[in-house]
Amino acid sequence: MTRVVVDPVTRIEGHLRIEATIEGGKITDAYSSGTMVRGFEKILKDRDPREAWAFVERACGVCTTVHALASVRSVEDALKITVPQNAELVRNLMFCTQYMQDHVVHFYHLHALDWVDVVSALSADPKATSDLAKTLSNWPKTSPGYFSDLQKRLKAFVDSGQLGIFANGYWGHPAYKLPKEVNLIGVAHYLEALEWQKEIVKVHTIFGGKNPHPNYLVGGVPCSFNINDVNAVNTEKLNFVSKLLKDAADFIEQVYIPDLMAIAGFYKDWAAIGGGLKNYMAYGDLPTKGYGDVDSFKFQRGAILDRDLTKVYDVNGRDENEIKEYISHSWYKYEGGDAVGLHPWKGETEFNFTGPKPPYEQLNVEGKYSWLKTPRWKEHPMEVGPLARALVAYAKGNKEVKEVVDEALKKLDVPITALFSTLGRTAARGLETRLIARWARGFFDELITNIRGGDVSTYAKGSWEPANWPSQCEGVGLTEAPRGALAHWIRIKDRKIDNYQLVVPSTWNASPRDPQGNRSAYEESLIGTPVAKNDEPLEIIRTIHSFDPCLACAVHLYDPDGKHVHQIQVN
Amino acid sequence: MTNSTSEKTKVLILGIGNVLMGDEGIGVHVANALEKAVLPDGAQVLDGGTGSFLLLGPMQNAEKVILIDATIDGETAGSIRRLTPRYSSDYPATLTAHDIGLKDLLDAFYLTGGDIPEVSLYAISIPPLQDMSTELSPALRNAIPGAAQLVRDEAWDAFVS
Repeated sequence: MTRVVVDPVTRIEGHLRIEATIEGGKITDAYSSGTMVRGFEKILKDRDPREAWAFVERACGVCTTVHALASVRSVEDALKITVPQNAELVRNLMFCTQYMQDHVVHFYHLHALDWVDVVSALSADPKATSDLAKTLSNWPKTSPGYFSDLQKRLKAFVDSGQLGIFANGYWGHPAYKLPKEVNLIGVAHYLEALEWQKEIVKVHTIFGGKNPHPNYLVGGVPCSFNINDVNAVNTEKLNFVSKLLKDAADFIEQVYIPDLMAIAGFYKDWAAIGGGLKNYMAYGDLPTKGYGDVDSFKFQRGAILDRDLTKVYDVNGRDENEIKEYISHSWYKYEGGDAVGLHPWKGETEFNFTGPKPPYEQLNVEGKYSWLKTPRWKEHPMEVGPLARALVAYAKGNKEVKEVVDEALKKLDVPITALFSTLGRTAARGLETRLIARWARGFFDELITNIRGGDVSTYAKGSWEPANWPSQCEGVGLTEAPRGALAHWIRIKDRKIDNYQLVVPSTWNASPRDPQGNRSAYEESLIGTPVAKNDEPLEIIRTIHSFDPCLACAVHLYDPDGKHVHQIQVN
Repeated sequence: MTNSTSEKTKVLILGIGNVLMGDEGIGVHVANALEKAVLPDGAQVLDGGTGSFLLLGPMQNAEKVILIDATIDGETAGSIRRLTPRYSSDYPATLTAHDIGLKDLLDAFYLTGGDIPEVSLYAISIPPLQDMSTELSPALRNAIPGAAQLVRDEAWDAFVS
């Protein structure tokens, strides 16, 4: 029996540690640990609820805007504020922008190199690469000269000894299966995607005033529309947004999706690996008739148990019997003891570190072993994220989701059960990005129609005044971060924040076991995964990366040198 | 800066850090101080926060970038070092705790080719353990004017030399 430790797991900088037991070349048990603490409550307590978004937005450099969105929604829920339709549309456009940028960055910069071998790309034939690329899509950059120039730049970079972002790869690992030419296309698009992503985020600057960390507003959005005013969102700026959305849709349809399908075709064995939990949950988002009308959401809300796609359960963030957080394996203590679960409105954040002083060889997995709490929905462990969103929408009969999912399944010639896997998770992320690009266009057109019709309202007047607030109230703001269901719970007392709790997607997915010993999503997904080389556990990385781990808001790690650390212990 | 064809920024002053992590946010605090300073036209101050990949655009669009960030290097809290890094390995190891490191971003930068701005980095030493707080410790608070002065002088030197 071998215990493999991967710490940190994230490609670029990490906050997550995985310990896996390997027997006979397969993982038989796994533990996921968030290795450093972060508690927002201290910072938010006693502040003005209207400014909470500005703090929580700083929790992370990747999903800034969704935290702000969850925050303003929690306050609006507590104070019974309904935002105007234009505000909802602008929020949807911010949301879609974030998804397009984040999913593309995840695929190319945080996940692709688990499948694409950079070193193999150095020996690809540029002419053959060009021929292949032309069969994949109509994307213009496919000449032999283009690939040969790129290869030279890559060679020079590798020869300089400054492997940098490529330094942590397991190049040459037997689990890499792509032909050299596909590898070269992958690397080319890694770099193109880097250039592309910096354009689309300009939508955030236009509607949010600045970027990173754009502005949000309780009761609406902080931008005004005036087609002739240079200081407002005017015709020129709207035209620019339109162009950015078009370019984004082109990149997604002509680069991301063809690459995803081409790569997936070589890794179909991963459609039977990494499935893990059989329960999925999505809060849903992208309201088309207001946040209060859940049935109008583009992504549906609901829960699926035991992979039964014939039944979708309702999810209610306000019901104190549904979502609870446990700490029996987390470095916290509750007033009521370690066995109880607390709904976030009653959530407590009292640290209780009982672990070893880092660096340590092995976690004490019998006791507390993570800085993440363990959330449960009606006591069930749930997977959240793109796959959960796709499955809930699919099971609810969402036509658009069904169409893109069925098309991809057909193309890859795999059954729907193939979705319950590492590959399914990665594919679901790409497929929803296609839909998001289309939906963004729809929201934009609707916004333009409103503005042309003279409706430029972006803010619910009167909601701002604390004099009108009840002395005590509570709210929940539900949204979907790119990596899964995200919610903020707020309790307001005497016009100040009394309690504020975030339950973020990586807490659902990456948390330790619950008091009954049930594994959470990461831990469960690794069971049964084959590992070819214990000292290069590429397969573990593939599955964990398929969840898009981002623990910046869940936990915080100061890793001294940001390297994958593997300790191999043979018992 | 909403137009893709806008002219290059001559000097971009970029404060990096997480203001929720106490001293770790020193870069942003210095940038905020510089927002109020007299700077040459053509110098732009940006609160980069924990912006990671989102900062590639503004950085590529600058002729010169002056970065301000926290470093955990064992030096006295508040010490300031000026570095002129080229590759990620030229950066202090514990420069950043942000999700996707600026160091990694810069490597990607060199790989994408094109015009590479001149980068100077003011690395300000902070103590190793940071609690969640929006406040700076006294040593770091006192370091702001000096750091801002150094950055301001370098920005002016880029215009008047």
